[in-house]
Amino acid sequence: MSVHEVTPTRSVLLDLKRRIKLSKSGYKIMKMKRDGLIIEFFEIMEKAKKMRESVTSDYELAMEKITVAMAVEGEIAVKSAAYALKTEPTVVVGSKSIMGMMVPKVEADLSRSSILTKGYGVISTSAYIEEASKAFEKLLETLVRAAEIETTMKRLLDEIEKTKRRVNALEFKVIPELEEAEAFVEFRLEEMERENTIRLKHLKRKGEAAAE
Amino acid sequence: MFGRFGKKKGNYAYTVARVKAKKSHLFKDDAYSKMLLMSLPEISRFISESGYSEEITELTGKFEGIDLIEHATYRNMAGYFKGILDVSTGELHDMLAAVLQRWDVWNLKVILRGKSFGIDPDSVREDLVPAGELALQELEKMIALETVGEVIDAYCKLTETVIPPEIMDAYKTDGVLTDIEDFLDKEYYRRLLESIDPSSKPTRLLQDYIRNEIDVVNLETLLKLKVEGVVGEQAMRFVIPNGKEIDRKTAERIAAAATVEEAMGAMSKLSFYGDIKDALADTGSLTELVSVLKKVHISQARTFSHLHPLSIIPIIDFMIHKEIEVNNIRTVARGLASGLDRDVIKDLLVVV
Repeated sequence: MSVHEVTPTRSVLLDLKRRIKLSKSGYKIMKMKRDGLIIEFFEIMEKAKKMRESVTSDYELAMEKITVAMAVEGEIAVKSAAYALKTEPTVVVGSKSIMGMMVPKVEADLSRSSILTKGYGVISTSAYIEEASKAFEKLLETLVRAAEIETTMKRLLDEIEKTKRRVNALEFKVIPELEEAEAFVEFRLEEMERENTIRLKHLKRKGEAAAE
Repeated sequence: MFGRFGKKKGNYAYTVARVKAKKSHLFKDDAYSKMLLMSLPEISRFISESGYSEEITELTGKFEGIDLIEHATYRNMAGYFKGILDVSTGELHDMLAAVLQRWDVWNLKVILRGKSFGIDPDSVREDLVPAGELALQELEKMIALETVGEVIDAYCKLTETVIPPEIMDAYKTDGVLTDIEDFLDKEYYRRLLESIDPSSKPTRLLQDYIRNEIDVVNLETLLKLKVEGVVGEQAMRFVIPNGKEIDRKTAERIAAAATVEEAMGAMSKLSFYGDIKDALADTGSLTELVSVLKKVHISQARTFSHLHPLSIIPIIDFMIHKEIEVNNIRTVARGLASGLDRDVIKDLLVVV
């Protein structure tokens, strides 16, 4: 808002004062939200870091197990065992609120299937395939949790960025401009007041001169 | 098909002579050390120069890399086994057919699993290893059938197998193949033992070898289940009867233990306990134990491989060595292709 666009009236001054008050309280709240989000972000980042390490280690273990299973039992046997599987993981993506911001909440039914319910024969399926299957079930579990945390972290980053821009806009643009406009209106009103007083004095003097 | 009564003895001398000629083509132990230093194309070339050329040439258009090696070696092995089965006669043929029925069961499982998952027939056909009594044409007819139930019926008709109705009912209810597969495995061993006439020393040796194999399979099954928390009567359902050292009582004691460590006491009287003791201590994984058990079992074959030259023993010995060769080639090739450490690959190899 340019100072020159402001009409120097009392009602504008009152409006400006109200807006300054509102902006300042908004600024305070936004700053608190930004700080809160940053604290939340660091907590999530710690979790994400650990989760990434888990994903890496689980992935390495699962790949090692499947490589050994494929080397010992052959790709055909591993593939065939995979075709026998009857259990399928289900993933439901919902949402939850962190300081008014919606983040994804992934609920997955990843209850590890027992050897008895997997779908392939217990007797002939080797321990190599069974261990590879378990390692991949664990990897899937970790991946789903990692997906939730990573998405939350990205959303938090976006929100922090947005909030930071709003805080900066309020701090360095909106509030200073409003205060400048307020100062201008106050100055103009005082000026008008003084002009008015002088005018009145001038008229009074003119009236007295005419009476004499 | 598997009855031994009233059967001719069989052409042992001729079949053994054929097998002896084939045995000379098997890889020597140092071949795997050489292969460990090769690249995949070099391994393909090496094995094609060592008896696998026909299969490699035949499958080059369909597969490449490690898949080519795996399929070619399986096809080569199937050809060898089928050839031996075709030239054998009488009770020898029946015993070999019973031994090789393992591959019929394997192929049936591949077809059933493929069908229940909805895999296209061509992919299922590629994964077959027709090393058993059933010809490829018979297996292909089974692939062409519509449902899992029809495939099971066709197999039962061809092999005169009767699957108990409660197992079929359970499948119809939940659509899970577990019980059918486990029944087929048990039935395989039951028929195999039934086909062996233990009146001669060589067949008694074979019977012992098979019963040892049952022990190994039972031990692996019980420990696999234990790791999953399945113990007691529930685990006993999966025990194959007629093991050599692990009888029902021993199996029950192993099954009753809550953990692998607790089961060690029940296993302490087994002749191979000394070999598996260290592997049992590794509570994190069973693969080490399985690998040791496999090696212990194979080493038992070594003890009788040179005995009774005109019996089923040299034929079984060849089959064991051929299968080990195929498995070892695949282990080396796949291990190298996946970047496994050479020492790890060496540990996975079975060298007799």
